[in-house]
Amino acid sequence: MSETVVTMLTNAFSVLVFPGLLFVMIVGLLLAGIDRKVLARMQKRKGPPVLQPFYDFFKLMGKETIIPDAANRRVFLAAPIIGFVSLVVMVVLIPIGGYTPFGITFNADLIVMLYLLTIPAVALIIGGSSSGSPYAGIGISREMVTMMAYELPLVIVLLTVALKVGGGSFCFSLGEISAWQETNGALITHWELIPAAIAFLFVIPAEVGTQPFDVAEAETEICEGPLVEYTGAPLAMFKLNTAIKMFVMTALFTVLFFGNAVATEYLALNALIVVAISAGITVLSMTLAHAVCARLKIEHLFKFYWTVVTALAAISLVLVWCL
Amino acid sequence: MFKKIIAKSMSKSPWIYHVNTGSCNGCDIELVAVITPRYDAERFGFKLAGTPRHADIVVVSGPITSQSKDRLARTLEQVPEPKVVVSIGSCPQSGNVFKGSYSVEGPLEKYTHVDVAIAGCTPKPEAIIEGLYKAAQILQEKREAMEK
Repeated sequence: MSETVVTMLTNAFSVLVFPGLLFVMIVGLLLAGIDRKVLARMQKRKGPPVLQPFYDFFKLMGKETIIPDAANRRVFLAAPIIGFVSLVVMVVLIPIGGYTPFGITFNADLIVMLYLLTIPAVALIIGGSSSGSPYAGIGISREMVTMMAYELPLVIVLLTVALKVGGGSFCFSLGEISAWQETNGALITHWELIPAAIAFLFVIPAEVGTQPFDVAEAETEICEGPLVEYTGAPLAMFKLNTAIKMFVMTALFTVLFFGNAVATEYLALNALIVVAISAGITVLSMTLAHAVCARLKIEHLFKFYWTVVTALAAISLVLVWCL
Repeated sequence: MFKKIIAKSMSKSPWIYHVNTGSCNGCDIELVAVITPRYDAERFGFKLAGTPRHADIVVVSGPITSQSKDRLARTLEQVPEPKVVVSIGSCPQSGNVFKGSYSVEGPLEKYTHVDVAIAGCTPKPEAIIEGLYKAAQILQEKREAMEK
């Protein structure tokens, strides 16, 4: 009896505090703050404080929530929460230095991850379409095209990693991928996987929706697209979702290409290492691209992902298959 | 505790929406200069919002023309509370050189409560930053007043 109570409490702790809700909120907003600060330094500005996304979040929480007459009230309010929940579920599945709160019992959690990754984007689409604004209409059509563009290289990268670790067959378990790298060295050090890693670095900004791949939320041309009618707390949730997506994607990169190779035996230290690597990847893949590129057109984005990025991922897949 | 954090955050992260009501474009250029790397208003958390729904501070430039009068009223209605209205340049205050024209229906005070008025034709970016900073403090006061 008491054992079940203890397991329930530890499960609740892992979902609500670490590595779930609270941890991911703080780390996600911190990564967003680092992104903005480093971007400002790259442009020779002083830039906002690192805690700026926290201020933005709390400010939006205190604003009035307006629901437009044309909107579908329930869907409009539920959409940000659907996206948020799926992101928290994803974080609980990602092993931090080999530690997952519910044990390494899943043998196909990479597939689950792939499905869960689409849900925040779908939440944005249904939220935007229920708001009844023509700007949101343009935004969601662009969001769908962006989704199609980055999904293909993402799937190929995941297949490449699964094939490399499985050695002839596919291994879709994140825990096993992480553990394999402890004995065989980090996957980023295997030269045939470097094109796949670069392709994944290109997928991250499109998935998160940062410039130059933020065509769906282009605030200067279509008024932030799907978010155009959102105010107050729901908008804060969407901003939070974007910040958490930064952490989820960079943590996924850490698991796939560094894994247990950088792990120690202390959980707290492992969490710190993952956050540090995530911050580095955020700067490398998102901030750098934001600082040097202007926003792409939607057709250029689609073309770029289905030619250059897909080719990079496919080269890796073929190399892993043949060697 | 959360109420205090929210009130404090109000002055730390004001998002701006800019309405041009027939301005000569001078003030608009100076406002854009404020967010360039040289003056960098982002260090106070200022950000240009794409839509009035996301805005905290509405910046109005230009003498209110007959064409823009209704649009201005509709834009101001869309901004969620608490909000602050800032007029930029001499035009929204007095009509400036456009005063007396058949198509000018200013000043801005006729249509809304103006919290901060930045005078000048055109005001310097330093003056605009100071005015916007004051507006952010007023935003926090309005939020605290809403609590009571």
